[in-house]
Amino acid sequence: MAASRRSDEAPSDAQTAFLESVVEQYGKATYNFALRLTGNEADARDLTQDAYIRVYRAWRSFKPGTSFLSWIYRIVTNLHRDELRRHKGRYLVELPEENDSRALSGATLSETPIDDYVERQFSEPISRALDGLSTEQRRIVVLADIEECSYQEIAKIVGCSVGTVRSRLHRARTQLRKLIDRHMKTSTS
Amino acid sequence: MNDTHPTFEELIDYAHGELAPARDAALHEHLDACRDCFEAYQAEVQIGDLLRVHARETERELPLGFAQAIVRNATERRESFWERWSSVLRPLAAVPIAAAVLLVAYFGFARQGGGPKRFDPSYYLEDHAALAASVPFEDAAALPAMLTSDETPEGTDGTP
Repeated sequence: MAASRRSDEAPSDAQTAFLESVVEQYGKATYNFALRLTGNEADARDLTQDAYIRVYRAWRSFKPGTSFLSWIYRIVTNLHRDELRRHKGRYLVELPEENDSRALSGATLSETPIDDYVERQFSEPISRALDGLSTEQRRIVVLADIEECSYQEIAKIVGCSVGTVRSRLHRARTQLRKLIDRHMKTSTS
Repeated sequence: MNDTHPTFEELIDYAHGELAPARDAALHEHLDACRDCFEAYQAEVQIGDLLRVHARETERELPLGFAQAIVRNATERRESFWERWSSVLRPLAAVPIAAAVLLVAYFGFARQGGGPKRFDPSYYLEDHAALAASVPFEDAAALPAMLTSDETPEGTDGTP
């Protein structure tokens, strides 16, 4: 996960090269992480943009050999938290999803009606269950179960103790289990 | 659950590989033998799997031209004066601001009379003088016994 940094160039060139390199390597992961936190594209784009502006300005504080993803996730998490405190979410209405990868590639992931049915059976309840979690719970679940970070890494990213991560994840998983069961039942009935 | 069976919390930690080695080994052994616990563990693992499958299915590519826009915006956008200085000033300003707030709060509270009420003896002296003035020819009378001494003056205690 370590990003390379060229230190033999002039500071501004090296800075720009560093940014280009990390955006190319981690831009998609960052954008998807932001998308899962915010739930909409417009906020995810703003969050990703703002996070990389921070990276650009503080590029010297990144230590080569350490995890860039942990750093950028921490920045995104902090910016998202600040944004929620300030405005309670910048956009309340979901914007058209013109950049859906499936739409861009021209093919859907589910090739047959059966696949489509199965996808709807599982993906929709999961999506709705995730939406039903609080922001804090969703953040922990995304980091623990989707990004597969360790409790230690999550604690660093979120800025709390490992014990807090543990108890928050337990509560989130309990809540998630209930919500998935509920949405599975409603989708099958 | 009793002492031998794991709790749901332990199963979640086990599924995430976050138990202490000794407990992890004990739980591994227990799951081999206990069908109920193994099913509960499988349910937790399945939730994790569903979340990852859902994440893969809903994963997006970066919007077209977005990577270039990020670099362009980051390199072209200059930090404003406030942005540049706020990070430096914030910790420096925090202590004097906190001290000022405490001082204002303390003096504001004191001015509003929020402190302990002070005893004003002149009020009681004036009150006594006014009472005495309103009862003429009473100056020569004996003062109430309780204010002067323990001895009860003759004929003043109401006893025959």
